Order: sequence, then structure tokens, then C-alpha cells
Amino acid sequence: MRKITIDPITRLEGHGKIEIFLNDAGEVENTYFQVPELRGFEKFSEGRPAEELPQITQRICGVCPEAHHLASTKALDDLFHVDPPTPAKKLRELLYSAFYVTDHTTHFYILGGPDFIMGPDAPVAERNILGVIAKVGLELGGAVIKTRMQNHHIIHMVGGRAVHPVFGLPGGVSKALNEEERKEVEQIARDSVEFGKLSLKVFDDIVLKNKEYVDMIVSDAYTHRTYYMGLVDENNKVNFYDGKVRVVDPEGKEFAKYAPREYLEHVAEHVEPWSYMKFPFLKNVGWKGFVDGKDSGVFRVAPLARLNAADGMATPLAQEAYEKMYSTLGGKPVHYTLAMHWARLIELLYAAERLLELSQDPEITSPDIRTIPTAVPDEGVGIVEAPRGTLTHHYVTDERGVIKKANLIVATLNNAAAVNMSVNKAARALIKPGIEITEGLLNRIEMAWRPYDLCLACATHNLPGHPLLPIEVYDSKRKLIKRFPEH
Amino acid sequence: MKTLVLGLGNPILGDDSVGFRVIQELKDKFSHPGLTLMESSASGLGLLDLITGYDKVIIIDAIQTEGGQAGKIYRLNTENFSGTRHLGSPHSINLATALELGKKLGIALPQQIIIFAIEVVDVTTFSEKCTPEVEQAIPLAVSMIAEELSGD
Repeated sequence: MRKITIDPITRLEGHGKIEIFLNDAGEVENTYFQVPELRGFEKFSEGRPAEELPQITQRICGVCPEAHHLASTKALDDLFHVDPPTPAKKLRELLYSAFYVTDHTTHFYILGGPDFIMGPDAPVAERNILGVIAKVGLELGGAVIKTRMQNHHIIHMVGGRAVHPVFGLPGGVSKALNEEERKEVEQIARDSVEFGKLSLKVFDDIVLKNKEYVDMIVSDAYTHRTYYMGLVDENNKVNFYDGKVRVVDPEGKEFAKYAPREYLEHVAEHVEPWSYMKFPFLKNVGWKGFVDGKDSGVFRVAPLARLNAADGMATPLAQEAYEKMYSTLGGKPVHYTLAMHWARLIELLYAAERLLELSQDPEITSPDIRTIPTAVPDEGVGIVEAPRGTLTHHYVTDERGVIKKANLIVATLNNAAAVNMSVNKAARALIKPGIEITEGLLNRIEMAWRPYDLCLACATHNLPGHPLLPIEVYDSKRKLIKRFPEH
Repeated sequence: MKTLVLGLGNPILGDDSVGFRVIQELKDKFSHPGLTLMESSASGLGLLDLITGYDKVIIIDAIQTEGGQAGKIYRLNTENFSGTRHLGSPHSINLATALELGKKLGIALPQQIIIFAIEVVDVTTFSEKCTPEVEQAIPLAVSMIAEELSGD
């Protein structure tokens, strides 16, 4: 365990949190974004057969197991040097598209949406899905539940088990789709497309038509000019399941495009003394600190980054929505962190359209779903786009396929530097000498990290009444002057 | 009466597996037409999907309280969680909010929800075993739930 050399107040065990330190004048001196560290994964996976990793890694997080499951499965394809038959790849992408619908729906209506739909100054007790439903109506609430339930049903049906699929194999998948199941998926996909359109309409009515919110979205306090990373297909369109990793610079120009195996030539991790968490950055730009700009190796991932890094969406309605966002916000790339919420809804629509497309694909009920590997395994890398960003699994095994080393770069980690910067900038913009630090003000600081849709697995069993990342404000004598929540 | 005993947790994160462990012990001891024993890693809205349609739900989960004694078992109900309706995690909503939402949407919710929470030590180190104090609490949790079930 590394020794943390900074500030004894910094408490890193157990809970994630944001610490804001003020100077004598009452201005923000510095901010630190801390997450709990999940320890010992390398040791835990050593000595296990690599085929177990899709089952094991999907248990890391109760929220995005499908992302780990598929990144792991693709790492196994690479490890065993086997190419799955195309029906298997399409089934994997079908399951994944259903998962994206559930996940992006959950984020917008539970986390991101409430800030806008209720407003950032609404009391905390109202800034949740209950407040949303009170405002937009029970029918929409019912649609949220129904969309999630139906798409989880697809995951269960296609993946063989709810939440944690037993599905991915090196060279294919474990189960084919029959015609009855296919029809079900098609119907759910149609409903999901309608729901995706409706969600964008809600965003338009409640957020885009409200000048105060639009001003907040384009305000400098929530803006960072960084590099952006995302997976793209051969036409440079956003793809969650497969493709090459594409990176664009803060002006939108392509900076790099690489296959999964090359990731170590492009991404390195920076260590800070005050955090267990490492900060990925672009190796070929270099680490210049927690700063914006073309000379800084800080990059962002997840919905807005994916749309920035691509040339468009592969389905028509999502493409229309993509064009509308960029024309509204002044062209590509968009640097407004709060626009991640908009990009997420565009991706929701894309995922639903893609689900429909795949359900209608002539190959989708094919029984040809596995190529049995014959080569000797050695090393493999699998990359997918998790809802929260680019997710990398890298395994090294012996000749029997037993894990010697497993390295994961989880999606949220790629955004770690940017989250720290976003919190810092918002805090500096909002906390000024003489201004009272209210709950509403601290919520506006929280709004700086919420768009990133952080996946902090440890929070799954958090007691109610505690926001995931408490904010603590200290004066220049290191005395705690405000905590949200208070306790 | 349809009863669900639901163990929540993560089977590879050390003490966070305790809910699953209790269910595994119960499966060896109990079988009854109206009784369902289930393990799940779901939370919030996902939990709502699971508990719909049952008359009584008993949840077992790990808990960490400030200054809590490892291995201690609390018997709680949803009133203990209804103080405020904050977001409990960025991905989901806490149990109290999920139930309130279910009520508003007219979903068939259980009349009785009881939560057995076991105070744990380490939920951030990957392991398939619990720490000793938590391991020792498992048989007691099993008998507390058995008693709860025999009362029906």
C-alpha cells in the first residue's frame, strides 16, 4: 500500500468524497476527488482459467456487468486467437444494445435528469425520480420502469441469466436466438425507439427551452477543452461493442486511431501522492497536470466524448439528433460537460435503433454461434465502450490459458483527471469570499461530476440520505466549515 | 402467502458476499412451496422488479455504520430508511425511494418488508470469503431468519 504524503485530513478508506480547501481569503485553493479503491483484483484472478473471467469480472460492478462481460469475452477471443462467426458478434451487440437502453435510461431519469427537471436549487428531497414524476407525470414514470424491465428481459433471455449473463465464450456465445425470441426482441426494440424519441423530447421541452439551463450548459464553469476518446466502426461512427479506439484533439482533429492491442502505446497512468487512484493520460501528448488544452494529455470518455470522437451515428434518428445537438451548441467538438446528458439521450436512441436493426438481421437466429479455438493462448486485449467510457481488459496467461496477469482499465478511471478538473473549476467559479455556502451551491458543484455517470461499485449499498460523494469544505486552517450531507 | 428471502451482495468482494452466504445456508435447510430464496446484486429500481408480487420480503445485506461492531445483526424495516429521500447511489435509488415510486405507479408491493443487516468489515478487497467476525455471524443470521419464517 502506497504512503499518502499529503494532508492528514484526507481520508481515503471506504468512502469516496470531494474535498475543497479554501485559502485565507476564502477562495478555493484546491480540490480533491477521491474514490474508494477496490483492492487485490490481480491477486484474485491469478491462477484462474481465463474462461472464468467473463463471469468473475462482471461481478465487480452490479451496475455495468454486461460491459465487463463483453470486454472480457473479447479479450478471450484475442487471447485464444479466434474469430467468432458473425451471428455471434451480432448477438453480443444485440444484448449490449439492450443493456445500453436500460443503463442510459436509469442515469438520465434517476441521476442526471432531476437536476434539470427539478432545477439545481430545488430541495434535495425533491431532486430525485419522485420529483421528476411529480413534474412530468406518472405515465412517463411508468414508461421508464417498463423500458428498463423489458430490456432486462432481453438480457435475461439472450444472455441466459438476469443481470449477470452466462453468455460470452472465446470464439462465440453460448446460446442462439430462436424466432419466437427474435419477435419479442423486435417488439421491445420498437417500444424502446419510441421511448428514446420521447426522452429527447422531454429534454428539449424542459431543458433546451429553459434559458437558465441553456446558459448553465454553455457557461465556462462547466467547460473543459480536452481530447476525446471513443470506439468507432469502419465508417468512424459510434459503436459500443467493437471497432478501433479513436482519439480527437480539442479542435476535433483525429489524433490517434488504434486497435485494442496497441492501447499501451497510447495510454499511460499518472500517479498522484494524495490518491490511490491513477490518472490515465495520452502518452504521446504527455502529463502536464490537471489542465485543459492541446498540450495536456488529459482526455475524456463516455457519451459526449464518443460523439466528439466519431463522425456521426450509424442509425438515422440518432444521426438527426446528433446533428441537432452540434448545430445548437456551435459545432464540433462540444466541450460543455453538461452536454453529456444530451449526448447520453442521443446514444439511448441509437442503442434502441441498433437493437431494432439487429433484431431484424437475417443472421440473428442462425445456429452458427461458435468457433472453437485451437491455438495456444498467450495474451489478449478486449475493448468495449461501457456506458461510462472506454473499458479495457488485458490478460496474460500460460499455455494452458491460466491467468498470470489481468489488468483492467475501467471506464470511469479514464475520466478521473477530468472529473477532478470539473469539480475544481465549478468550485472556483461558485465559492467566493463572502458568499454563503448553501446546499444549492454545493449541488451545483455536484452537477459538475454527475454528467460523467461515475461507476463507484462500493456505493451500491449506501444508506439513504447520503449522496454518493459527500462534499467537505475546509478553511485555510484545515477546519471543516461545511459538509454536505451534514452529519 | 408468497414469501421472498433475498440475499443482496457481491460474491467476490469479501464481506459484501455475506447476503449470498446466508441464502446458501438457508437453501440447505428450507424448502416450501410459498417460499423463494434468491441471491441478487441488484439495487434500487432493480430491487423493485424483484420484490413485486410477493406478500412478504426478507432482505439480508451487509451494512457499515459509524462505530459499528463487526458481526452485529440489525433487524430493520423500511421506516428506518425513510428519513430523507436522497439518492443513495448515482446509478440507482435507495430502497425507500424505490418503494415510494412503486406505490405511486401502482405496482403490487409486499405488505411486509424486513431487512436483516450484518455489520461488516471489508467490502473493498476482492475475496470469496468473509472476515472471521462476519463468518461467525452467518449461522446466527440464518437462525434469526428461520425464526422469522416459522412465525408465518
